[in-house]
Amino acid sequence: MDYVLNIIPQMLIGCGVTLQIFLITIVCSLPIGLVLAFGRVSSLRILRSLIAFYVWVMRGTPLMLQLLFFYFALPSIGIRFSDFSAAMLAFVLNYAAYFCEIFRSGIQAVPKGQYEAAHTLGMSYVQTMRRIVIPQVLRIVVPPISNETITLVKDTSLVYVLAMNDLMRTARNLVQRDFDITPFLVAGLFYLLATLVLTIMFERLEKHFSRYDQ
Amino acid sequence: MMKKIEARNIHKRYNNLDVLKGIDLDVDEGEVVAVIGPSGSGKSTLLRCLNRLETIEKGTIIIDGATLVQDGPDGVEYASKDKSRQIVCKMGMVFQQFNLFPHMTVLENLIEAPLQVQKRKREEVVREAEELLAKVGLLEKKDIYPRKLSGGQQQRVAIARALAMKPAIMLFDEPTSALDPELTGEVLKTMRELADEKMTMVVVTHEMGFAREVATKVVFMADGYVQVQGTPQEVFDNPTNERLKSFLHVLLK
Repeated sequence: MDYVLNIIPQMLIGCGVTLQIFLITIVCSLPIGLVLAFGRVSSLRILRSLIAFYVWVMRGTPLMLQLLFFYFALPSIGIRFSDFSAAMLAFVLNYAAYFCEIFRSGIQAVPKGQYEAAHTLGMSYVQTMRRIVIPQVLRIVVPPISNETITLVKDTSLVYVLAMNDLMRTARNLVQRDFDITPFLVAGLFYLLATLVLTIMFERLEKHFSRYDQ
Repeated sequence: MMKKIEARNIHKRYNNLDVLKGIDLDVDEGEVVAVIGPSGSGKSTLLRCLNRLETIEKGTIIIDGATLVQDGPDGVEYASKDKSRQIVCKMGMVFQQFNLFPHMTVLENLIEAPLQVQKRKREEVVREAEELLAKVGLLEKKDIYPRKLSGGQQQRVAIARALAMKPAIMLFDEPTSALDPELTGEVLKTMRELADEKMTMVVVTHEMGFAREVATKVVFMADGYVQVQGTPQEVFDNPTNERLKSFLHVLLK
């Protein structure tokens, strides 16, 4: 127990890094994903194809590869980032692709009749999207977004390849230093706690958005 | 009498299939026009062309004095986006599938467009919406979400929602076709009341009773043409057109 209390401060610093990666990724990739989704269903064929290509590449290669690419490959052609920025770029671009697909399927699940009703009531494209379509999309996408968000909590641990001291790497360093696996257990508990909080939050959101279904 | 709808020589094709092959439709103020005909005759398409849910390849449509579309040197010319939105707003549309907004309460469904599109005062819009709901007999349901209502109730809300925009014309696209037979009566009653108030209406319908009793004019469409039009008596009692005769014959069997 003393040992656990002893390592907690260091673990908390690791948690801070993990939390930072998590929050920045969520805050940036959700809106980017939504914008991409509208491009993905737009009438501009070239835009649709470009975004489809982007999504294919980002979903079709390992996030680890993308992390290493932004960290090593870009500097080699003269574009330089800090470790943290390279990691964030990879995470945001990767998750935006997943969120784009989630939002796209949500947008396409809204029946055509909803657009037609809005049209006959004289609503503009922006009004139709903002007032009619997006609120219905949100209800549809909460469960898959919840899923993706929980995956992200654990994906943050991939930054250990970039030598960033997140929760996972901190735990590993402690294990190697002290020859004791307790830090792994503590780290596991932290991850579980985070996903528990998220699960509860998303359940509430889901309830909120489906209030008109009951 | 003022013309509310003037459609001339409307042509519409879907993937190389001619759906409308030169339709003329005139609707005077206060007229109730029933459009009847076999399925696939293009009657719903005609209605959807009037409010630009479909675009036409050729022809002229004038709504309440404003030109929505007309023939130009290089095909048809539609009014600008803003103008055409204003024109479309003059027509309330009631769909077969109701198309209420599921994430809004009954009252919110009614006030949405008057607030967002017409930018009218909330207080006034809410008051009028409640009057409309009272008129269709659903005021006590105003804070309920559409999914909890029966089909007939949803369709009455949809009628009230269209009326909340104060349209000059009401279009009905098979308004009772998705309803259980015992629920069609309440919707037809609401429509009948509207007709009694001299609302200009175009109703695509399979309800021959309604067409005969309420309509001032009946238009029979088949194969993309208007085959016959006239008073209900002319159309139903002494049909001479062969297509109409066989259509009515099948229906009355």
